[in-house]
Amino acid sequence: MNKAVTTTSLALALSAALAVAAIPMTAHAAEKDKCFGVALKGKNDCKAGAGTSCAGTSKVDYQSNAWSMVPKGTCEQTTSPTSPTGFGQLQEFKAKSA
Amino acid sequence: MNQPLSDTPFMGDAASAASPVLPSRAGIGLKPEHFRDVLAQTPELGFFEVHAENYMVAGGPFHYYLEKIRARYPLSIHGVGLSIGGQGPLDEDHLARLAALLERYQPESFSEHLAWSSHAGRFFNDLLPLPYTAQSLAHVCAHIDHVQERLGRRMLLENPATYVQFAASTMAENEFISQVVCRTGCGLLLDVNNVHVASVNHGGNAHDYILGLPLHAVAEIHLAGFAEATDSIGQPLLIDSHGAPVAQAVWALYAFTLGLTGPKPTLIERDNAIPELAVLLHEARQADAIMERLFKDSVPGTESQKAPA
Amino acid sequence: MSDHDDFAATLLSDTGDCPPGLRAWNGSDPAQRFAVYRNNVTVSLIDALADTYPVTQAMLGEEFFRAMARLYVRAEPPRSPVLAWYGDSFPDFVQGFPPASGLPYLADLARLEMRYVQAYHAADASALPMADLAGLLADANALAHVRFSLHPALETVRSRYAVVSLWIAHQGQTPANSLGEINLDLGEAALLIRQGLEVEIVRIEAGAAQFIDCLRSGASFADAVHSAAPFDLSNALALLIRGGAITHFTLQE
Repeated sequence: MNKAVTTTSLALALSAALAVAAIPMTAHAAEKDKCFGVALKGKNDCKAGAGTSCAGTSKVDYQSNAWSMVPKGTCEQTTSPTSPTGFGQLQEFKAKSA
Repeated sequence: MNQPLSDTPFMGDAASAASPVLPSRAGIGLKPEHFRDVLAQTPELGFFEVHAENYMVAGGPFHYYLEKIRARYPLSIHGVGLSIGGQGPLDEDHLARLAALLERYQPESFSEHLAWSSHAGRFFNDLLPLPYTAQSLAHVCAHIDHVQERLGRRMLLENPATYVQFAASTMAENEFISQVVCRTGCGLLLDVNNVHVASVNHGGNAHDYILGLPLHAVAEIHLAGFAEATDSIGQPLLIDSHGAPVAQAVWALYAFTLGLTGPKPTLIERDNAIPELAVLLHEARQADAIMERLFKDSVPGTESQKAPA
Repeated sequence: MSDHDDFAATLLSDTGDCPPGLRAWNGSDPAQRFAVYRNNVTVSLIDALADTYPVTQAMLGEEFFRAMARLYVRAEPPRSPVLAWYGDSFPDFVQGFPPASGLPYLADLARLEMRYVQAYHAADASALPMADLAGLLADANALAHVRFSLHPALETVRSRYAVVSLWIAHQGQTPANSLGEINLDLGEAALLIRQGLEVEIVRIEAGAAQFIDCLRSGASFADAVHSAAPFDLSNALALLIRGGAITHFTLQE
């Protein structure tokens, strides 16, 4: 905890912050630590999905013991120091029989 | 929730005699993907239409762009979540959000669907069908009366694209719609693609369907593309996908409709596989060209833009 | 009146059933036609989740993500017709989803993505002029008791895992290039701040995130600093001021 906070230190910090904020940011300052996200789309519309064979109708139900899938995305490129396999202990999930 | 039918249909025309209407020209659906292009190009276009629910957020880019675009173009606000065909009472919170949105943007038109999308507190995000019976007619009319009173304006009701029919139905869809228009004074948003889709899906005749509608009430037309599937015996089942250009058969049906109604504000709808803005503008120009060919003497855009008295 | 009860219940079931009372003009099986509606509902809601959680989807791959999202849609269909916020409980679902337990950071990553959506659509507000803030320097004692109001679009995230780095690595052209260098078990915090029309995510110290959360809950300047773990106060303030995130203040008598 910041037990040493004094009213003077608050004023000093604000004063320093104002000085920093008043200066235009350089192009690459702290580039690694910040990032703009993408523009969002609208989620409400009145379209219908095309046909009846889309992903949504495929039979998937892990509660009935049918779920055996492994993530196959960018998680495979990560490394975890605590994982013996190197990338996050991925294994096929087998639901317990009900 | 049966409310008594109103004895006095909402007097939309009288109440809004001096309010502006959409021009009888082609417009397109406004997609966030095109916000910047629209502002940069300010294309020649009759109007933009937005889905009301997408703008039921407090602030940020959606409102920033819609305000700028609305300042330059006529606007239609098209609801997709009011569930007018629902069996329970209308969602008053949702009506309040709609009222606030209409107050903020003062659109030339507000429309919703002859369908339901919410039931028992769940929202299904699809336009679901209802049986056409005396009971459902009373129910839909009560809902539309309530909407028009709550929003203080006339609404347009859109005919649906459907994939099934109900054994319980006692009247045809166009007959049902005629009754609704007659009893509530609402206008009709005639989706010509939906007419084509429903006619194919239910073995009907699209021309007869249109001839059986209250065409005097048509205040806007929708055009869109569909996808093709088949039913269990291999006959065509069309899906209202909004993901393709307007089909030739629908353009023909559009021209047939215009011959009966005169020029009307016409929306090109695309919600799936959204192309470049230029592609949609090109389709809008096709609709304008049909109107110009059919009504050479009247300049599109001036036809229904009556000057306020 | 139970027509819609049957129809609605069958929409969210996994059987090939069809609600009673449907027919087709040509005698074809109404169940196959009804399946169009069931498909629309499921696919459109999974699409809505995929829009909100693109990085979560990228990490898992589309197939796994959509299969998981489908179970969520069945379990928790929307309660509101406004879909912008649909899936706000999805991170909790992910956290309790056994097949994803090998990726313990996933739920926090999803939380970060939902906060992004919230920041994107939050109310607009004007930043306090810097001169007004500078005016506070005149009285150091009063400054300690000032309560700052922050921009409605401001959000913070704190995680035991490196979810901010994961998120940043997925923006831009080559998402996965730097993934191998991220130490997943290193906790991170972030500030989401909307400037103009864009939401920026900035990695910050955990203490700074605590400080900002305290300010948001109405604590005074001094109390917020006191209750946070050690952090660079002037850095945090500069970030808030530069981002236009301080919108108002009140002086305590």
